[in-house]
Amino acid sequence: MESGGDTALVAEHLTKVIGDRTIVDDVSFALRGGEVFGFLGPNGAGKTTTIRMLVGLIAPTRGSITICGHDVRRDFERALRCVGCIVENPDLYRFMTGRENLEHFARMLGVASGEIERVAALVNLAHRLDQRVGTYSLGMRQRLGIAQALLGDPRVLILDEPANGLDPAGIREIRELLRGLAAERGMAVFVSSHLLAEVELTCDRVAIIHKGRILKTGSVRELISSQRTMEFRVDDVARAHELFRARGVEAESYDDTLVAAIDETQAPPLIAALAEQGVGVFHAREKVHTLEELFLEATGGETVG
Amino acid sequence: MFIALVRNEVLKLLRRRRFAIVVGILFVILALVSYSQYRQLRELRTQNWRAELQERIARYENRMRRGGLNDSWARSMRAEVRRLQFYLDRGINPEQPTAPLVVRTFANAAGFLLLPLLIAVLGSDIVSAENAEGTDKLLLTRARRRWKILTAKLVTLWLFASLTLLLGAVISYAVTAPVLPAGGWDLPSFNGFSMSDTAFRVDSVRQLPLWKDALLAYGLEWYALLAVAAIALMLSVLFKSSAASIGTMLASLIGGTILTRVSPDWTAGKYLFISALPLADYYSGQAPPYDGMSMTFCITLLGAWALAALGVAYALFTRRDVFG
Repeated sequence: MESGGDTALVAEHLTKVIGDRTIVDDVSFALRGGEVFGFLGPNGAGKTTTIRMLVGLIAPTRGSITICGHDVRRDFERALRCVGCIVENPDLYRFMTGRENLEHFARMLGVASGEIERVAALVNLAHRLDQRVGTYSLGMRQRLGIAQALLGDPRVLILDEPANGLDPAGIREIRELLRGLAAERGMAVFVSSHLLAEVELTCDRVAIIHKGRILKTGSVRELISSQRTMEFRVDDVARAHELFRARGVEAESYDDTLVAAIDETQAPPLIAALAEQGVGVFHAREKVHTLEELFLEATGGETVG
Repeated sequence: MFIALVRNEVLKLLRRRRFAIVVGILFVILALVSYSQYRQLRELRTQNWRAELQERIARYENRMRRGGLNDSWARSMRAEVRRLQFYLDRGINPEQPTAPLVVRTFANAAGFLLLPLLIAVLGSDIVSAENAEGTDKLLLTRARRRWKILTAKLVTLWLFASLTLLLGAVISYAVTAPVLPAGGWDLPSFNGFSMSDTAFRVDSVRQLPLWKDALLAYGLEWYALLAVAAIALMLSVLFKSSAASIGTMLASLIGGTILTRVSPDWTAGKYLFISALPLADYYSGQAPPYDGMSMTFCITLLGAWALAALGVAYALFTRRDVFG
């Protein structure tokens, strides 16, 4: 990671057992300042339960959480002072106005009221601040929820499905806001989502969670580049295949196409060799797999969300 | 900083309009009381109360002159004669309703069911509503320990319980003063008559100016309401839905009353908090439903119930997992 900020949040061996069901199973990850970390999994994978443990709503059966160097169980107030969050839905007090809601939480944090204008402007909500939250759309409540989470300039921002209820323009706007907060303020942003495209566009690193377990953790680019392949469409697949094998390149053939697990820098010598042997190359291109395909592979073919 | 938490809770309680409902109920009920007292006053005007009062005094004095009374009866009659004479000398009809008397009576009449019910309305959803609306997820993750948040809620509830009682007194005076005589705070008031098995006991009778008597009654009622508020808070923590916690409070108030009336020989009933609740009534001389219930016993019992309720509320609230 080029930003490489200090570690803002560490979750170690988090496990939650309720009755005889293990809802979250030995989940560990670390969150650095300046990065947007995606928590990707289908509904019911244990994302929200993990978030509830991170912010102290649920006591983990095993494992520990440290935020800004403070243990969440032992030093709750200091740990949580570093965190702004939305858990599950942005449930705010519907019988109060947006401003009253922000004042309510600002008072809890001991934050000056000037902060309210600042965070409301960040999420583009200043014009509706004096209306009752009961009249807000889900998208506006999502914005108010994010504004609330930003009160007091937290080092860690934890958002549960922040794209919910937003229109495409709103999603892009929030994505830019989150990326900006991480890049400019060095905030560590944790975003859970069941939308792969969203995570791919928003996040630097991602953990993929399924049935309470983390299947993979890595940078979005790494996870994708490990899945990169080159695709060659040729006029004689059998000969091309033979030629590849002779040069130690494993490939699979489909109809008139060869797919090899190499990246594009290895392609030119292969193309030259094919041409030399008189094999016609119609096209050669790099194929970038989406997280969706990656997820399908990692979870053994179960679909997402 | 703790005061900020209390401010938040006060704001939420007011915004939920619970307190407006309570004030509305108090106002309607007291307006009705005021009207009925006014009718009584008009009927009294047509009677010759002076002659009636003189006749009553004469009857008592004749009875005492004849002798043969036991001590306590004689004392009680002397006290009554003194009281009636006092009114006669000042030209006041003792049966005449006055605004201060309505205020004084409110402590006893409302203290038993009405005020505890209103406190239940105020308190039963103070925690459960946050749970039902999902706002507890934010409230409990804003860097304040849970016990502080619950304490802020308790303080707020105690504040509003006190305010409800105070407003009851103020409204009962405000709605009766225009139609009934508004003065008379220093008239003597007699308290503590009690019936033992065979005799009318007066050894515990106190004569106090009405304002002082009212202050004492309100003080006891206040204590009882704080205990009720503590129990309402516990129910609000126990139940996720506001309806369930208000319902349980109503059922225990009404059910407890029925129990104490129906089976007075089940002596364990004296340990129910409902048995000790009408503190102001016992102060005024009404006999508690079970033997061995002194004022000290009742005050201790209510205190113990309140402490136990708070113990349960804090233990649960600070430890439990918050799911959606």
